[in-house]
Amino acid sequence: MSIAKSGANAARLALDVTAQNIANAGTDGYVRRSVTMDEVVSSTSPYSTLSDYSLAGVRVGAVVRNADVFRTAEVRRTSADLSRANTELGALSSVEGALEQSGISDALSAFQSALQSLKADPTNPALRATVMENARTLADSFNAASSNLTTAQASLYADASSGVSQINQLASDLTKLNTRLLRSADGSSDQANLLDQRDKVLQSMSQLAGVSVSIGDHGVASVAIDGVSLVSATGATALAASVSADGSLAFAVGGNPVAINAGSLAGGNLGLIQLNAAKTRLDAVAGSIIGAVNTAQAAGVALNGSAGQPLFGGSTAADIQLVATDGSAIATAPTGSAADSRNPANLTAMIAALDGSGAAAGFDQLMTDVSSAVASRGITRDSLATIANGANAALAGQAGVSLDDEAANLLRFQQAFQASGRVMQVAKDLFDTLLSIR
Amino acid sequence: MTSISTNGFYDRSVSSLASLRARAETLQTQISTTNRLAQASDDPVAARQLRALADEEVMAKAHSANAGLVDADLSLASDALTQLTNLTIRAQELATQSANGTLNDDQRKSNGNELAQIHDSMVAILNSKSSTGQPLFAGTSDGPAFTVAADGSASYTGAGQPAEIDVGHGISVAGSLTGAAVVNMTVDGNPTDLLTVVHNLATSLQSGGPTAASDASSALKALGQGLTTLSTGQAVIAARQGRVELANTIEQTRSDMRASEKTRIGATDTTQAIAQLQEVMTVLEASQASFTKLSGLSLFNYLD
Repeated sequence: MSIAKSGANAARLALDVTAQNIANAGTDGYVRRSVTMDEVVSSTSPYSTLSDYSLAGVRVGAVVRNADVFRTAEVRRTSADLSRANTELGALSSVEGALEQSGISDALSAFQSALQSLKADPTNPALRATVMENARTLADSFNAASSNLTTAQASLYADASSGVSQINQLASDLTKLNTRLLRSADGSSDQANLLDQRDKVLQSMSQLAGVSVSIGDHGVASVAIDGVSLVSATGATALAASVSADGSLAFAVGGNPVAINAGSLAGGNLGLIQLNAAKTRLDAVAGSIIGAVNTAQAAGVALNGSAGQPLFGGSTAADIQLVATDGSAIATAPTGSAADSRNPANLTAMIAALDGSGAAAGFDQLMTDVSSAVASRGITRDSLATIANGANAALAGQAGVSLDDEAANLLRFQQAFQASGRVMQVAKDLFDTLLSIR
Repeated sequence: MTSISTNGFYDRSVSSLASLRARAETLQTQISTTNRLAQASDDPVAARQLRALADEEVMAKAHSANAGLVDADLSLASDALTQLTNLTIRAQELATQSANGTLNDDQRKSNGNELAQIHDSMVAILNSKSSTGQPLFAGTSDGPAFTVAADGSASYTGAGQPAEIDVGHGISVAGSLTGAAVVNMTVDGNPTDLLTVVHNLATSLQSGGPTAASDASSALKALGQGLTTLSTGQAVIAARQGRVELANTIEQTRSDMRASEKTRIGATDTTQAIAQLQEVMTVLEASQASFTKLSGLSLFNYLD
């Protein structure tokens, strides 16, 4: 009778675990549980004549959490790489968009072509006005590109700072989980639940920054970034981010500088470095246009015969602007020419200087470099995604809940429970038989 | 034993359906916009070529506008030179008549009056405007090419050489000649010009007297020289028109090339894209159908 009772209890518990698995089939971070059964052997056998008869039933050994440490670590590592690639690609795409959508390339062509047209009739006020309007469009498109880049840069900084505070929040969560893990009993479902939460926190941390994780006694996790401890068994140290002189991000854990090589923080930093480089190159292009045009202006005379004044103000893509107010300011004639001169020698020099400044070629190269980087990072991202999916599938195959398996288990344990009940019935019949002897 | 986790099954199905859908949408965008590239990173090399082609096209527009202007100016200059030639031939006739000793002073005077008219016409022609309203023969000056003094003699007041204008493909052509190049010449080692010759002859004939006939006969040589200078000018203009024509011909070929390159590099191959879209749609529909079937397949359906 007691054997049957232990069997029924064990089957009941196994049914509970199966039900828990089914209920959590869609829960994020849930790892499939299973129960191990141990045979119970009684040292004091009721059957003294048969020394071998020591049967006392079954008991539930432990609730097992089917997570493989290696596969979990693989998932963490690959998803950290993937989130770095994703963030970097996002940043680069916004750089590409900022440069392409501002229409600098078209505006520059239009400006050069307007200068070329003006050469045919240098005193024509309509052609001069066209040049001025094209120059204004060019300056505006540089301003737009620059402000788009600045916006993208600001949002990358904001993302990084929210990422850092998320990591610090997760680190303090993990410290609490570590404390509770120390107190929980091995093999208990409470421990399994805490381990689920721990893995979930570690997964989130990995996606933000490539952390190295070591699991100690009782499943207590220690986390380090670049060899500097972020979370130890005793507590958490704060991660901080600051902006370096070159515009990239510098990270430090408890004051010790660390390099983050994976996760979205690393991707954001790589994106920032590319963005800053693009910004510098864009400024150089704008600067060379300003330089070429203004130098040529200084070498000539305006329509009224006065010395040529600068057309553009500013020195970078952000502050380039048209300072000349009227088309007559364009110095088409060389110094010494009379007012209303139709001599376009200085305009020819300006066109040549603009060509020679390499502004158009420089911008074209910048655009090509950025778009090639986006294209190649896209391919890298896709292959990292495939790897991460593979790691996820490997882990899910082991740790994920399959409803078909659970249905089979449900039937199996139901039958085990029914069989134990049958055993009880048989034992009762035996007792009844014995009791009815008179 | 590895089993297929239910959550994993749904995740994978969703991601593969989503990627098929994204592929179909990309193809749909390519077909509807007829552009193969939505952004430069779709194909950086092709995007760069497209930018270069677009740049060349914008410049080509400016160059062909320039070529049109230059061509118009050259035609105007050519017409002006033809008229000058006709006037010079008439001046030659009058000089030949006047050199004849049988003519009396009155007749010479009348010839002198006509020559004075011819002189005025020549000055007017040389001061004519270009297609953009600027003096045609004044070089880079914006004032008239020739100024008539109180005594009726005209002198060149233009300055510089007419600007060479880019008409594309490395060819630059000036739209006109300077007034000096049209009228200046050297007769018997002495520099002079057509207008002075005509003006002096007209004055001499108008005032009459014994030197009128000999003046007329000596002017004949200078007028012949003037015709040579004018025909040299015509030849120069014709050669320039030829260069503009050459630039236009090259541009014609280049623009055909640009159009076909743009189509080849940047345009959607509609036939191919539609076929691909059809293929993707078929796969998508099949995946959706099989997903519905598979997701309905659960052991729980058979438990009772």
